[in-house]
Amino acid sequence: MVRASLAKGSYHSLYYSIEKPLKFFQTGALLEILHCAVGIVPSSVVLTTFQVMSRVFLIWAVTHSVKEVQSEDCVLLFVIAWTVTEIIRYSFYTFSLLNHLPYLIKWARYTLFIVLYPMGVSGELLTIYAALPFVRQAGLYSISLPNKYNFSFDYYTFLILVMISYIPLFPQLYFHMMHQRRKVLSHTEEHKKFE
Amino acid sequence: MKHYEVEILDGKTREKLCFLDKVEPHATIAEIKNLFTKSHPQWYPARQSLRLDPKGKSLKDEDVLQKLPVGTTATLYFRDLGAQISWVTVFLTEYAGPLFIYLLFYFRVPFIYGHKYDFTSSRHTVVHLACICHSFHYVKRLLETIFVHRFSHGTMPLRNIFKNCTYYWGFAAWMAYYINHPLYTPPTHGAQQVKLALAIFVICQLGNFSIHMALRNLRPAGSKARKIPFPTKNPFTWLFLLVSCPNYTYEVGSWIGFTIMTQCLPVALFSLVGFIQMTIWAKGKHRSYLKEFHNYPPLRSPIVPFLL
Repeated sequence: MVRASLAKGSYHSLYYSIEKPLKFFQTGALLEILHCAVGIVPSSVVLTTFQVMSRVFLIWAVTHSVKEVQSEDCVLLFVIAWTVTEIIRYSFYTFSLLNHLPYLIKWARYTLFIVLYPMGVSGELLTIYAALPFVRQAGLYSISLPNKYNFSFDYYTFLILVMISYIPLFPQLYFHMMHQRRKVLSHTEEHKKFE
Repeated sequence: MKHYEVEILDGKTREKLCFLDKVEPHATIAEIKNLFTKSHPQWYPARQSLRLDPKGKSLKDEDVLQKLPVGTTATLYFRDLGAQISWVTVFLTEYAGPLFIYLLFYFRVPFIYGHKYDFTSSRHTVVHLACICHSFHYVKRLLETIFVHRFSHGTMPLRNIFKNCTYYWGFAAWMAYYINHPLYTPPTHGAQQVKLALAIFVICQLGNFSIHMALRNLRPAGSKARKIPFPTKNPFTWLFLLVSCPNYTYEVGSWIGFTIMTQCLPVALFSLVGFIQMTIWAKGKHRSYLKEFHNYPPLRSPIVPFLL
């Protein structure tokens, strides 16, 4: 990412350099839902599904589908938020598996989200908002009456509903992380006291 | 006659909630629940679950105290099932909604379609036929709820009414919107397709009703007896030879008929979701039958002959 932005002098072609790995790894995250469902990871299936589906939706149904949006700054915003979050999160999992979790990683995972989460959400919402006029213009993924299956779907309205759904969903996820933070970090404090 | 003493403890906290002395040995759990309500009026009998073991199964209302594996001082554990609502209330509400909502779209009440279409009527025969079928279906369901069905449980958790009504009312509105739309496209194969669909629909409605009557006749009024259903003289009930829950089979059939009649994708989706849910219920029912009756006919499958 850094190399790309230095080489091109701007980050407008950023998307093209990171497109393939971004798609591959974020879509690969679907496996995380499977792991929760099967039980090898103790996280909630519902929360993980929301998380992964929102990423997969942003990547495929918005950024990939609406080419005009790929050079926008808001894409950079959520890509950075996701990237930093994932680096910390996977380090956390790796060190936990090795049974040697540095406090710094645990702290980072349960603290940096306070900034990264709103940053990512803002980037996501701005990207969807930026995509709207192009969706309307091209009639993307939309079907109107009359047709022989007597069905209609307006992707533009659907995207607006998705944006509105962030209002009840985002606070729930955010407060869940806050709650986890209090639980995990105070637990460590108590352990430290006994040493 | 020796009297029993019953103490009721909270299943989670083990706190002593109630102590009943001089309880008749032949008292039923239902009677004990009524006594418990006297000291804790907010927990009416329908929301009480009493068990011998805090993690065990709920005792049935008909169970008799002296037949339970308890000494003369019985300890029962209580769990609050949450606010309850009667099955009849839920069924009536969830079925009345679609009946009424569909008609709003059929009569093209203002603010649904453009103003120039207010209170106009479709020029397609199939749209009128679809309204008759849909309305007939829900009227049948309402009448069956009042006069035919004999429910095993009196109540279900209150939150179910919101979930169920959202499902039924939401789908009814979604389907009705397209079928009664001014730009509705009638089926590709015209009258032939509609006639075939109507035949399927009528046969399945009769079938479904026959099964409901057969199930009702298995159980005398006021009883909660459970018996294996068998085919009767009514040919529609012969599906019992192949299937445990032919009422669900016929129900899916009706909706497939309605889908073919209206050639409407939302109807197909409603049929699919209904089929998935009914398959889950049928498999559960089939498993219960197998567990309870060792002579259960082996040829039967839960909902689709030989397949599911």
